Amino acid sequence: MNRDPNLPLTETTYYVLLSLFEPAHGYAILQKVEELSDGQVRLAAGTLYGALENLEKQKMICQIPGNDPRRKIYGITEKGRTILILDYERMRSLISTTDKNILEVKQRHEKA
Amino acid sequence: MKKLRFFFDFEREEKWLQEMAAKGWQLENVLFTYTFRKSDPAALLIRMDFHAFYSQSRYQDYLTLFEDCGWRHIAGYKSMGMHYFVRIRPDASDDIFSDAASKAGRYKRVSEMWLSLFACYLAISSSLFTTFSHSISIDSIIHPKTSFLTPDLWSLTGSAFWSAFIIESPFALFRILAPLFPVLYGICALAFLYQYRKCIKIWKKLSNSER
Repeated sequence: MNRDPNLPLTETTYYVLLSLFEPAHGYAILQKVEELSDGQVRLAAGTLYGALENLEKQKMICQIPGNDPRRKIYGITEKGRTILILDYERMRSLISTTDKNILEVKQRHEKA
Repeated sequence: MKKLRFFFDFEREEKWLQEMAAKGWQLENVLFTYTFRKSDPAALLIRMDFHAFYSQSRYQDYLTLFEDCGWRHIAGYKSMGMHYFVRIRPDASDDIFSDAASKAGRYKRVSEMWLSLFACYLAISSSLFTTFSHSISIDSIIHPKTSFLTPDLWSLTGSAFWSAFIIESPFALFRILAPLFPVLYGICALAFLYQYRKCIKIWKKLSNSER
């Protein structure tokens, strides 16, 4: 199977895409990511800006017209949605494979 | 107060600027030199990022994001790329990057900027080389006199010599230094690329040892 070259997504990218199912500006994305991850992922401004720039270059997100001249609103594109779902399915299959083999993995771990 | 310094390492530069602030010199502007304003000694957290912007609205969005996160822009120009931020909210994070890969990414962007300058310069000067091959070449550094194109300049005397010499000097200086620019750009591009690789290597080592 030919895997999409954008996969696997980094944790930052995955959360940013997930948070953009509802369009939001930069700082709102940070808050949403923190909320979605139960406070586990706290992105800093420079890291988020770099991620937004890359995602926009790859056409996974786009700018949406808004009223605030100081803050741009970002939203996920069709391509972004497709890739997010692909990565979700990749992780699901990873988890189900792990589940199937978990006993064996555990036993090996205990032996080692 | 103005100071001239060159850095290839963001962390060293940030540290130096923080030390200056602790001595009562706050960064005001960076344009070829660093301009400091006398102020009360302060323990500031200063961080740098690199992004060159062509659109004003994107630049505004970038600055607002940092401000929303508790970091104020204190120096840097829209299209020059280097930006200096100071933390203004104590509850803000210690750094403007939350992972090592994005922290290293700034070196990559600086390196690409120098590389594009290098490429532009090479494209322009290679066309000059072919049309004025006698006027711009490495030879001009070894024999600076050949960069003056006024006929019989060196046989003139007195005020006739000096006025011709002074008028042509800036042009001659450019002809002499022209081949040095791409060398300088190339060195800068490689130096920042080296820093980028170093950061990525350290990060990989750290994440391997955590496992």
